[in-house]
Amino acid sequence: MTEVHWQTLRAVMDRVVPPDDFPGAWDAGVGEYLRRQLARDLKHLALLYDLGLEAIDAEARARHGSAFAALTAAEQDAILRDVESGRVVAFWPVEPGRFFRMLVEHVQEGFYADPGNGGNRDGVAWRMIGYGTGPQDEATHADV
Amino acid sequence: MQTYDAVVVGAGAAGGIVAAVLAEAGWRVLLLERGPALTFEDVGRDHLRNQRISLYGHNAGPDSEGNPRVLVDPDGREILVRPHEGGYHNNAACVGGGTRVYLAQAWRFMEQDFRMASLYGVPEGSSLADWPITYADLEPYYERAEWEIGVCGDAEANPYQAPRRRPYPMPPLPPGRLYTRMLRALDTLGWHGFPVPFAINSVPYQGRPACVRCTHCVGFACPVDAKNGTHNTMIPRALATGLCTLVSRAVAERVDVNGRGDVIGVTYLVEEGSTIRREVARARVVVVSCGAIESARLLLNSACDRHPRGPGNAHDQVGRHLQGHYYPCACGILDEEIYDGLGPNAATATCRFNHGNPGITGGGMLADEVATLPILLWKSLLPPDLPRWGMVSKRWMRENYRRFVRVMGPVQEIPSPEARVTVDPRVRDRYGLPVARLSGTTHPETVRVAHFLLERAQEWLRAAGAVRIWSVPPRLGLSGGQHQAGTCRMGHDPRTSVTDPYGRVHAHDNLYVVDASLHVTNGGFNPVLTVMALAFRCAERIARDHRGGG
Ligand SMILES: Cc1cc2nc3c(=O)[nH]c(=O)nc-3n(C[C@H](O)[C@H](O)[C@H](O)COP(=O)(O)OP(=O)(O)OC[C@H]3O[C@@H](n4cnc5c(N)ncnc54)[C@H](O)[C@@H]3O)c2cc1C
Ligand code: SF4
Repeated sequence: MTEVHWQTLRAVMDRVVPPDDFPGAWDAGVGEYLRRQLARDLKHLALLYDLGLEAIDAEARARHGSAFAALTAAEQDAILRDVESGRVVAFWPVEPGRFFRMLVEHVQEGFYADPGNGGNRDGVAWRMIGYGTGPQDEATHADV
Repeated sequence: MQTYDAVVVGAGAAGGIVAAVLAEAGWRVLLLERGPALTFEDVGRDHLRNQRISLYGHNAGPDSEGNPRVLVDPDGREILVRPHEGGYHNNAACVGGGTRVYLAQAWRFMEQDFRMASLYGVPEGSSLADWPITYADLEPYYERAEWEIGVCGDAEANPYQAPRRRPYPMPPLPPGRLYTRMLRALDTLGWHGFPVPFAINSVPYQGRPACVRCTHCVGFACPVDAKNGTHNTMIPRALATGLCTLVSRAVAERVDVNGRGDVIGVTYLVEEGSTIRREVARARVVVVSCGAIESARLLLNSACDRHPRGPGNAHDQVGRHLQGHYYPCACGILDEEIYDGLGPNAATATCRFNHGNPGITGGGMLADEVATLPILLWKSLLPPDLPRWGMVSKRWMRENYRRFVRVMGPVQEIPSPEARVTVDPRVRDRYGLPVARLSGTTHPETVRVAHFLLERAQEWLRAAGAVRIWSVPPRLGLSGGQHQAGTCRMGHDPRTSVTDPYGRVHAHDNLYVVDASLHVTNGGFNPVLTVMALAFRCAERIARDHRGGG
């Protein structure tokens, strides 16, 4: 994936799980999760990711004349809502709604699954929701 | 060629028990297991690849590549599925079978569960039947399973349970916050709640420690070895006799017969690195315990001149009546944070709706779930109207994870003869063996019972203080999965069953099936304690009937 695509992906995933007083998807390591998965279980989707991210960027340029990553959060959300429901103006070589829903699934997997998968850095998503905070888990999560 | 007194195929719940009972009776036993022995580290704690949620793989076998099945969906479409994918109906493939990573809920069936047809009548199109044995026949073996595997529970608290002679060997696990809350709700409703019995050490037992209440019980291995499966109880006992040889990564290819059609042993394939070696074992007795789908497949793949449809299949019964459990589930958000993070992943149960439900054929037990994996909640249990991305969805998880609870229960299925395992005429696995082909659906009455139980689950949540409740309504489909059963059911009549009441395959003297395949019906309970009790009972009979030469 090109640098531009990574920037788009980073911006998109931070709208899927936006930062508040807990980190958003990117700072929680979901980029790393996706990097690993695109080389592993999602290898067959790498091209789809390229095309879809390019189309999201094209959507941003068509509407605002600048890259998706450069837009405000509100502008990004508006585009993603339209992409989700298929209201697109740019050329889409992939089905926009399906692509976006797939991406959402992957981002949330990275965010809520175990840190061993690359996302949920230091268990931050689990700390946020309060999962597994008992002493028995502190003792047994280690090293696995 | 190697000779033994018995070859036991499959080192799971049933196979591990039969191997131990026979070896302790002085038999020389070969125990074959297609999967490996797994350590705690092998099983790991990957939340995306485990036997509870297997998005990209799983952790207790079979290997994702080279072990496909063919699923025929209700529209007749054939789908090639890999072991971790939906529709495969996987349990596990490793030493201990499903018990290596199970939740270890350890239920006895009720008296009524053994005579469903007499009690309720046979719904049209179903193959519902009574068992050829009663609860009383099995009771002593439930007791053996509870004491020799090790089960904790409260023997007094469930007013619906069938009579028992002895209490559990261990007290229930100490109650947590969720348990207390859910129990109170059941009391309010008059539904008689009590703690779920588990094959888990609540106190040190048989030389292993007590449970430390981690959140990774179902689908994972135990960090302190407090969860009791056959891998840490019966199989070590079998090996300790010095008479049992366990070969892992060994796949039984076929049950062998001589020119007269008598069973003489097993041919099996051992995988070592990249080579596969064929071995032949001869034995006085052959015991099939591969789990319900694979046991049927092995018999069908053993077709020969003498048994053209496969041994035991003269009446086309092998592989039919495949059943598991419909598992209606109601999700809810309670009015306060209730999460206590205290494993194992269930706590409270009621048997109020297993039987005696007006107009309903049977029913099922209901239990809650504790410490749902966050990604499991996110992937499959969110309220249907919740946005799946953005701040709203993040906040929802943050505010509600600790208030989330779900209630679910295994529906006693009404079997259909069309829900079945055959072997696929074209697709073969990496050993060159025809794979299991699964087709048909459960009987529609099962779905009706599931709807009924779902409403009771919702009622329980409401009484527990749920401010919001949602669920996915059950639909007609095929069951099997981790609770698979029924494919070689026991009975007196060879035209409607595969084995006699002791698992001996009809028209054979020395061929036995001893696993969940035997279940005539699957109870409204997680099935493993019944699998284990039957295995003890069959094994005792095998040792007695084939004495001498051992
Ligand atoms: C995650 C999980 C949670 C569960 N939780 C519960 C629970 O809480 N309570 C409960 O009652 N049940 C539970 N179960 C189900 C329980 O594990 C099964 O009911 C039980 O294991 C069935 O026993 P079995 O002997 O019929 O088959 P298995 O235990 O599946 O054993 C069959 C063995 O045979 C092997 N085998 C198959 N074919 C061959 C061959 N050709 N050659 C050699 N070996 C072969 C398999 O690899 C397997 O190890 C759970 C299962 C899983 C996976
Ligand atoms: S809950 Fe207890 S028995 Fe289950 S895996 Fe954790 S420590 Fe072991």
